[in-house]
Amino acid sequence: MTWVIWRQYRLSAAVAGAILAAFAILMLITGLKIAAEWHSALVTCAKDRTCGNLSQSLYLGGGPMRAVTALTLLVPLLFGMFWGSPAVARERETGTVQFAWMQSVTRRRWLSVKVGWLLLASAVFGGAVAGIVTWWYSPVNALKPDQFSPGNFDIQGIVPIGYAVFAVALGIAAGTLIGRSLPALAVTCGVFLAIRMAFTYVVRVHYMPAVTTIYSVTQNLNGKGAYWPLGQGIVLPNGQLTSTLSVGPGYIIGQGAIPAPCAQDSTSISSTLTCMAHLGYHSFATYQPGYRFWPFQFIETGIFVGLAAVLIAVTFFIVARRDA
Amino acid sequence: MTLHGATREHGATREDVIETSGLTKRYRRVTALSDCAVSVPDGRISALVGPNGAGKTTLLRLLAGLAAPTAGRAVVLGGPPRQDPAYLAEIGFLAQEVPLYRRLTAQDHIGIGAHLNPRWDAESVRARLSGLRIPLDRAVGTLSGGQRAQVALALTLAKRPRVLLLDEPLAALDPLARRNFLATLTEAAAGGDLTIVLSSHLIADIERVCDHLILLSRSRVQVCGDVETVLAEHRILVGPRKDTTAIGQTHAIVREDTTARQTTLLVKANGPVIDPAWAVEDANLEEIVLGYMSQDDPAYGAGPETARLSAVGGDR
Repeated sequence: MTWVIWRQYRLSAAVAGAILAAFAILMLITGLKIAAEWHSALVTCAKDRTCGNLSQSLYLGGGPMRAVTALTLLVPLLFGMFWGSPAVARERETGTVQFAWMQSVTRRRWLSVKVGWLLLASAVFGGAVAGIVTWWYSPVNALKPDQFSPGNFDIQGIVPIGYAVFAVALGIAAGTLIGRSLPALAVTCGVFLAIRMAFTYVVRVHYMPAVTTIYSVTQNLNGKGAYWPLGQGIVLPNGQLTSTLSVGPGYIIGQGAIPAPCAQDSTSISSTLTCMAHLGYHSFATYQPGYRFWPFQFIETGIFVGLAAVLIAVTFFIVARRDA
Repeated sequence: MTLHGATREHGATREDVIETSGLTKRYRRVTALSDCAVSVPDGRISALVGPNGAGKTTLLRLLAGLAAPTAGRAVVLGGPPRQDPAYLAEIGFLAQEVPLYRRLTAQDHIGIGAHLNPRWDAESVRARLSGLRIPLDRAVGTLSGGQRAQVALALTLAKRPRVLLLDEPLAALDPLARRNFLATLTEAAAGGDLTIVLSSHLIADIERVCDHLILLSRSRVQVCGDVETVLAEHRILVGPRKDTTAIGQTHAIVREDTTARQTTLLVKANGPVIDPAWAVEDANLEEIVLGYMSQDDPAYGAGPETARLSAVGGDR
């Protein structure tokens, strides 16, 4: 059966391999350049003792390459659309299930081997892309840790593997349910994007309760590493929290909400802030700490792999019952 | 005791390879096959005939296990069609649209069969296709319809099944290819331990090779039996235009054609026809098949000289 799958998919595996190789070479060249830039900047700043401000003076990975890495968000979707949806639907459409299912192999085995290889291939290819992107980002993350924020989180680490497996499972299930590959492809695309957005912008933040810290208005939040900021504001002297005003060294957002005594004495931002500190105002920030990056990666990957498992179970159920 | 034993043994050799009872398949609103009871003894080449939409494909798909019945049961080789490698190895099925992987070559398909079947006669496929000058190394999608059908047939035979179910295998073939194919079928059947059911509209071809007939019409079985028996049972009666009630009481009138002068009847005879008013002729297979098939076609024969149609079901 594996031989059969290979015969059917060797061309598409070769195409995927070629694209992956081209992508790897591109990323390797630009990635090495970024790493060199980062190291020379470190050497220079160490000499000048200006490393603390490095993130303001240096910007790594500019130009089109950031866009290319952002596009890898779509890689799982491509697997789902081109490997997942046609897997069963195309064979139904062309009637080849009647050929495949009349060999001396049960449908269950046919499906297990096919689904198994497709999931494995998508995990390997998706993992390879994610690995390359993660490596490419390492100097960027070292300079300005931002890998926890939505968008960056989704293309690094292990979650892309979960997304790829999920997308392919979704495609297979949609194709099996609908029976025609083009509508299945559209449904796969729509459902995948909807679920991914829901997780990125709504669900993910609730994996663990966010942390709220209270600190002096004259300081910045010291979130350490790649923390994921969720909200900030002011703690009033009576202990109430408000987000209408948020302040820090060098900025005030929500000018109108500054308490009256300090608003009059607004010769400079720092004097305003000192005034507020004297009156008992504090800053607060809500965030997901950077050390939760990997737990969140594992949780999200687990959820998507779990969803994939459910979809595959549904596929088996339908294939066993429905007529060819 | 000896006699008894002999009878039992005789019974065993005539065992039905295919047997269905009450087999019914409904799709949402359409009943494709209704209360179908057929039996095909071992070693027969059975012709499955009937008008389009009569349920031929449905019956073959139910026997192959590609579709599950709504009601009733089918028994093929001693058990229901099922998802079991040992069972699937015994069944050869070829769908009407001869589905193959268009981008793969015939050689690839031979490889697939070799990997998925316990018995696989790759050499027979190669010999057959090279005899027909069909290239093994071209994507089957680039072959002509007839060539594709030949590839699919050869692949189905290579499995060396004990039951061969073919849905209109002759439709895509030219007359010479058809003759060759039928010769291959009879040869394979003569080799023993092979029962074939093939659906077709080509009665002349069927007459040459088939020794068993299943006639489906209006999603029901009208006739099922050995061709010899079917021929022996049916008679054509030609007589002056007159009341057919008397005939209808003894024999089952399948079809009645009335012109101004005379009446022609196709009857399933229940014993000899002794009425001297009727000239009795043997019916050939085509007359019998058309007789049953035209029952559900009210347009057939309904000219100015109207033909009264009679359903055999009511006479039984």
